[in-house]
Amino acid sequence: MRHTIAECERAGHDDGLSVGLALTGAALDNAPGRVAAVPSAAVPLGTVALRTEQGVSFVRTEPFAGPESTAVAARLAGVRLGLTRRLARRAVEHLSARTVGGEPTIGKQLVQSALADAHVATEAARRALSVAGDCPDAVRDVHERLTTVDWELAKLLGASGFVDGGAMFDVHLSRLTASCWVGAS
Amino acid sequence: MTSVDELQGLAAELAAELRPHALAVDAGLLPDIPALDVIRDIATPPEFRATDLPKCAETYTETCLARTAANIELSRGDAGVLNLCRAPSLAGLAVDALGSPSQQEAFYRVLADERPWTFFGMTEPDCGSDATAMKTRLDKDFRLHGGKKYVANAARGGIGVVFARTGPTPLSIRAVVVRNPSPGYTGRALTMFGLRGAALGEMTFDGVELDREALLGAHLPASQRGLWGAARTFNVMRLQIGAQALGVALAISDYVHTLRPQWKTLMTSRLEAARELLLDCAHDVDNNPDDRRAPSIGKLHATNLAVETARWAESALEPGALLDHPLLEKWCRDVHAFEFMDGTSTVQRLTIGTGHDDN
Repeated sequence: MRHTIAECERAGHDDGLSVGLALTGAALDNAPGRVAAVPSAAVPLGTVALRTEQGVSFVRTEPFAGPESTAVAARLAGVRLGLTRRLARRAVEHLSARTVGGEPTIGKQLVQSALADAHVATEAARRALSVAGDCPDAVRDVHERLTTVDWELAKLLGASGFVDGGAMFDVHLSRLTASCWVGAS
Repeated sequence: MTSVDELQGLAAELAAELRPHALAVDAGLLPDIPALDVIRDIATPPEFRATDLPKCAETYTETCLARTAANIELSRGDAGVLNLCRAPSLAGLAVDALGSPSQQEAFYRVLADERPWTFFGMTEPDCGSDATAMKTRLDKDFRLHGGKKYVANAARGGIGVVFARTGPTPLSIRAVVVRNPSPGYTGRALTMFGLRGAALGEMTFDGVELDREALLGAHLPASQRGLWGAARTFNVMRLQIGAQALGVALAISDYVHTLRPQWKTLMTSRLEAARELLLDCAHDVDNNPDDRRAPSIGKLHATNLAVETARWAESALEPGALLDHPLLEKWCRDVHAFEFMDGTSTVQRLTIGTGHDDN
């Protein structure tokens, strides 16, 4: 059974990357490059992973070029949309609890501008997947834009996002996973 | 050839000795790297150097231009390894700016005798870039209370400069030289996402007792004793951070071009243009050390471009390539660190935006 992009987004948002990835159809035999990113639970016993992190395993494989990898990439973009929305909520919580010059940081114009841009970008990305989820260039573009949005949001967390399992660790894993399913431009 | 060109060449030679250790340092190891001893000496004022260096090396501590040019090349080797260097760094610049001759002598004597890592305690967990809101305080008995976070070498550093409040106004924020270990000092290393050689950490001060000689700036006018007296230091360091970001971006570009030798891309031109911009900004700082805009322009552009270069590298290579090229993957993490050092992009934008100089 193949899940919809909306279901993948919900899983990414509610349950995280590895659970969402399990809904995308990502497998060892349909990755476009020499490395597949799959849920660790789907890796056969005895298979050596290049890297395993938070339930996602990166496993060497043979490249497979076909429409199925675009469909996986589109559903993965849905998962990442959910993760991005989760990151945005985390940024809002962080900024709401801080002050600069005695005023709430969340109220600063530059901060509101960054949050608004991130929101608009995620809404636009969702529509792009809905109208062109079968077009490799469009799906690649959505992934690239999500990587950009994730970084803009992570910056709002300041150095706290850069250390001790902060947001950048998740953002990077999301990006690395996507990089295995999106072909070079 | 100018002395800056010569220093740049020397830095490129040293950079080649940093690169082989990049992944080991990223993995948390502390390899013995002789080139770091040379870099440490280059970054030390000539009167306190332990060895004889080429004449061009003297320019490193004399001009922002030389420091910036050298840092671009050194970081092109590997910025993570470069940050492992036991150099005077920001603490040294602060002691140079705020310390009396005897305080400078004492600080650099410790560096020469013990070769410690140095730390610079400014940022606090709840205040971020808003230094005037800091809570760490120096009481009337010269005891330090409070804590700092996101400080390089906070746990392993042996000596450094910490800013603390002696009263309620911004002018009462002063700098003190602190030693580690000291009773009441606790340092903890943080797990970093990238640029792990910098060893960011947090430090707490539970009544750390200081000697009165530890207070910097007593010989200076009140307006120059503390935070504002150190402002020039930040201008220099801001460009050094920008230079390191650009160096990593150049390393990424070099790596991609090795894998794709037929590519002649726009990115190469953009990186060389960024080098020109940084060097021009450094030249501006040398001519006007109080110019806060030029370093912000240089840092903002270089740090943004470095992140963009990492994304370009990913899109230029086949799917999953970052997993096949661990050094490239590491640099794609490292480039994000510079955003949080010496002022975020938001802070730089505010500095740039509040200036009205058309040039």
